[in-house]
Amino acid sequence: MVKADDDILKTASQCRHYAMCKIDYLGTGLCPPGKRYHYVSYYPQGRMDLYAAMADNLIPVTEGLVHIAETCSLCGVCDLQCHFVTGLRPLKVMKALKDRVEDYLKAGGKPVSIASDEPLRCLRSIVGSEWATNDPAVLVTYANDPFPLADLKMPRYVVLPGTREEVAAVVRLANELGLPYAVRGNGGSVFGFVFSEGIVLDMQRMRGIVIDKDNWSAAVGPGVTSFELQQEAFRHGLRVNTAEPAATVCGNIVCTGTFSTWSYAYGTAADGFIDMEFVDARGQIFRLNDKQAPNVFAFENAVIPAPGICTEASVKLHPTSKDEDGVLVPFWDFDEAVALARELGRRRIGLAVAVLGIHYIANFMSPSKDLAGLLKDVLPETLGIRYVVFAIGDRFARESIQKLAGPVIDSGLWRTLTLGLPRLLDSEWLDLVKGFEAGRPPYEILCRPEMRPLVEAVLRPSPETLAAAVEEDLRELYTGLYSQPRFTDMTWLNMFRILSSRMSRRKHMFAFLVYVPLDRNDVINHINAEFARIAAAQGLDHDFGFLTPMDLGKRAILEYDYYIDHTDPAEREKIGRVLAEIGPWLDGLAERTKGVTFLKYVFSQGCSRKENFLYR
Amino acid sequence: MILITGGTGFLGAHLAAHLLEEGDEVILLARSKQGLSAADRVGRLLDWLGVAANRKKNVHLVEGRLEHPGLGLEPDDSALISREIDEIVHCASSTSFAERRRAEVEAVNLDGLRHVLDLAERSRCRRFHFISTAYVAGINSGHCLEELVRPAAFTNVYEETKCRAEWLASERCAKAGLRLSIYRPSIVYGHSETGRSLLFNALYYPVRTALFLKNLYETDIRERGGWRAAEMGVRLDGDGWTVMPIRIMAEDGGGVNVVPVDFFVRAFGAIRERAVDGGIFQVVNSRRTRIEDIIEYTQALFHIRGIMVCPAQDMEGKPRNALEEVFETYLEAYRPYLRDRRIFGAEKAGPILDDKGIRCPDLTFDIFKRCLDYAVQCGWGTRLFRG
Ligand SMILES: NC(=O)c1ccc[n+]([C@@H]2O[C@H](COP(=O)([O-])OP(=O)(O)OC[C@H]3O[C@@H](n4cnc5c(N)ncnc54)[C@H](OP(=O)(O)O)[C@@H]3O)[C@@H](O)[C@H]2O)c1
Ligand code: SF4
Repeated sequence: MVKADDDILKTASQCRHYAMCKIDYLGTGLCPPGKRYHYVSYYPQGRMDLYAAMADNLIPVTEGLVHIAETCSLCGVCDLQCHFVTGLRPLKVMKALKDRVEDYLKAGGKPVSIASDEPLRCLRSIVGSEWATNDPAVLVTYANDPFPLADLKMPRYVVLPGTREEVAAVVRLANELGLPYAVRGNGGSVFGFVFSEGIVLDMQRMRGIVIDKDNWSAAVGPGVTSFELQQEAFRHGLRVNTAEPAATVCGNIVCTGTFSTWSYAYGTAADGFIDMEFVDARGQIFRLNDKQAPNVFAFENAVIPAPGICTEASVKLHPTSKDEDGVLVPFWDFDEAVALARELGRRRIGLAVAVLGIHYIANFMSPSKDLAGLLKDVLPETLGIRYVVFAIGDRFARESIQKLAGPVIDSGLWRTLTLGLPRLLDSEWLDLVKGFEAGRPPYEILCRPEMRPLVEAVLRPSPETLAAAVEEDLRELYTGLYSQPRFTDMTWLNMFRILSSRMSRRKHMFAFLVYVPLDRNDVINHINAEFARIAAAQGLDHDFGFLTPMDLGKRAILEYDYYIDHTDPAEREKIGRVLAEIGPWLDGLAERTKGVTFLKYVFSQGCSRKENFLYR
Repeated sequence: MILITGGTGFLGAHLAAHLLEEGDEVILLARSKQGLSAADRVGRLLDWLGVAANRKKNVHLVEGRLEHPGLGLEPDDSALISREIDEIVHCASSTSFAERRRAEVEAVNLDGLRHVLDLAERSRCRRFHFISTAYVAGINSGHCLEELVRPAAFTNVYEETKCRAEWLASERCAKAGLRLSIYRPSIVYGHSETGRSLLFNALYYPVRTALFLKNLYETDIRERGGWRAAEMGVRLDGDGWTVMPIRIMAEDGGGVNVVPVDFFVRAFGAIRERAVDGGIFQVVNSRRTRIEDIIEYTQALFHIRGIMVCPAQDMEGKPRNALEEVFETYLEAYRPYLRDRRIFGAEKAGPILDDKGIRCPDLTFDIFKRCLDYAVQCGWGTRLFRG
């Protein structure tokens, strides 16, 4: 086989499996073959894997691969979608994949036809012939994630059921045949948990959303993503508590209980749903609201299996008000930022609250990796910002925050700073801003309303100004995106979590999440310091991520992130070593300290009552 | 040999050049920064200072950082220092005023000094020259003497740590039998004859700001319809001058005590030569420059009109606009230095300088122009150490 182009292969192997190419989050439309055929193999994400797999000689040119390659029209939608969050340009991979397959065929190569077998025939009789396969070109795209510690695990079959009855039948069949199975919500999991040597069930086809306005609820199928549900809720003037936009709603609830900055007001775990439907390990269907259903509301501090395959969740919808908007309160000192977040929680001010580190802010704002890198230095060094308390609230909440906190970055200034970002980083201007420093950090002066005309005169914020920071051929598209007010609207960006994937643009992110007692700064600081120490000892990039108050500021969820190049074996070894250290340390800490729970143990117990893991 | 810390800084570099010129051999403590190695930085600096090729061989470089015990030196460098140095000129310092950087400022200005003194004690060094500041005087309205002081309060963490450092140096040097000279310059600006400088803060900052704003609004007027300029009342006059109506709140009297770097260097040389037993010396200007004069110089040099000093009562009821806010913020931080009425005595330094015929020039328009022309031409110092 021809040698893969290094640059193209590098792009292909950098895919983070965030599945942002599987949701239409930019309003540019979805990858047409992905939308039509549902298998992840047809989406850009799967195609990236396929290209890398071909380069590694993992798969032959099968009939499935030929079809996958042929159905890509090189429309280019994925190039912008992927670039927006990762900075990668996948279109060249899509082209190279097509070329490779075409060259093979032109050279007289015959596509390999994979023979059917009895289990496949049974699966097809359940879901229809199109929705179960054993073609390696499909299987390989369900075989691993950029989780550095998991090896490739090729399933024998991938199946896309369309109804809960089909799910139940597949489970019963797997039991009969003695085949293991795993379920993947959106054909992707960044933690590498969900693989099987037997059957992988991809729930992509079960995408029903039924809004019941009178009951403030939405019944969602297991293939519905957070983004799609939020979009539907938004259309009705409502909101749901959702997490990563491309993650499925059901998968997220089962897995982590769904936490986000909105968990501040909307809670987490059992707070998020009204009822859920599962297929259990025997292939029987049950709902949580059955008196006879297993008690999934209890929590056990251990890694235990999920209650079954979720086939529907009835999720809570929340009201919104027209005057909601975002505000950022900058801080130099972490404890002061935490104190404000706690105070807001106690006083029940705002709807979504989080303390964010500068890595987040820098990446949220910047359309490119380089700009984010610069901004990450400038925020603390020049502006005096190391943390921000981010909040969404109505007019009254924002006024209260301003009264409590002093200088804030309101939505207008946020928009100005975002759209003028390249000029914010201009060195002459920064020298001038540095000179504002005296007793108070420079951001305080920048935030003053009187300063706004000067800031605007200097930054000349506009979609074009911002777009100048990306590659020339993308500028027009970026200008188009940023001309839409929602792309600088903090509420919209946050409720759809559009920017969160940008965090791992530089490197693959490894997030550690811990529930913490919010009135114990000593504990929180200790956790941050230990995470920092462990990472530094291994020479890994690391940063504080965020902290969101929960349950009236009594508890919080804290994220600390490690950044690794998942394609580098040395970094893989390092992450292995840190995991070996972090597990026992956090277990010990949790045992000694009320309010500390490692999210690892909530995985698969996301339906439990949050009280059972927050107050152990 | 003489160890110089802070040799890549403004004053340290000039002192190094002076000592080399005198025929001394120097060891420079330097660090890598902004992608440039320590050697690279020192190399560029020596070129900038115009150190003659035959003198360059008298420069030794050691890499280190003040905040590390032993300055983080390589064992060989540490041995070289212990073996060879006769004097130390300690210029390195954090000059940040920012309270949020207190830990860092203390680490450099106090722990750093301790580490340098540790090294001095382990060596054959007998003289310790400590570059301090006239502003150890803290918040004080009276006469500031050339002696150790304990003011009740300081304007910022910089002043405070410099004052504590003087006490620390005095106690440790007395114990170790080191002769200590403390030099207290006021605000140092560029060379009075060439205008050259390495640092463009303090005096330069507000002038640079005025020029930045002028350029910003001029471009707005010429290229973008000028509505942002109009918003601030900025316009172009028929003769091409820019009108920037900016009110700067006046207070009575006072001024800024500034000395050019050439004067500072000559004063240092004379005091080092004459006061071999050490002491405390204020290297200051006996006359202050009024802020009004600096405004006038700035406007004349850059063709600006409209910046005016305005009594507090005239500002009442007329809130400051963004441009006024910028200057007010600056004034707030620098008020004690800009509206200074303190008298800095030079009872000890004065006679030495008089005797040597060394006199501090006043900041005239000519000197101001020379210094600012140089600042603009060199991009406010940004190019020398660009990686
Ligand atoms: N300039 C004035 O107007 C003025 C007035 C009164 C007193 N002073 C005093 O004069 C002395 C020199 O000031 P300057 O104006 O020349 O300031 P400067 O240009 O900022 O120089 C400071 C020097 O200290 C060095 N330094 C800072 N932190 C260090 C560390 N951790 N380890 C090693 N070196 C470190 C810097 O090294 P890098 O180059 O590597 O950063 C630089 O060489 C200071 O003690 C200051 O208090 C200055
Ligand atoms: S270029 Fe191909 S892979 Fe990308 S969105 Fe279009 S059809 Fe899908």
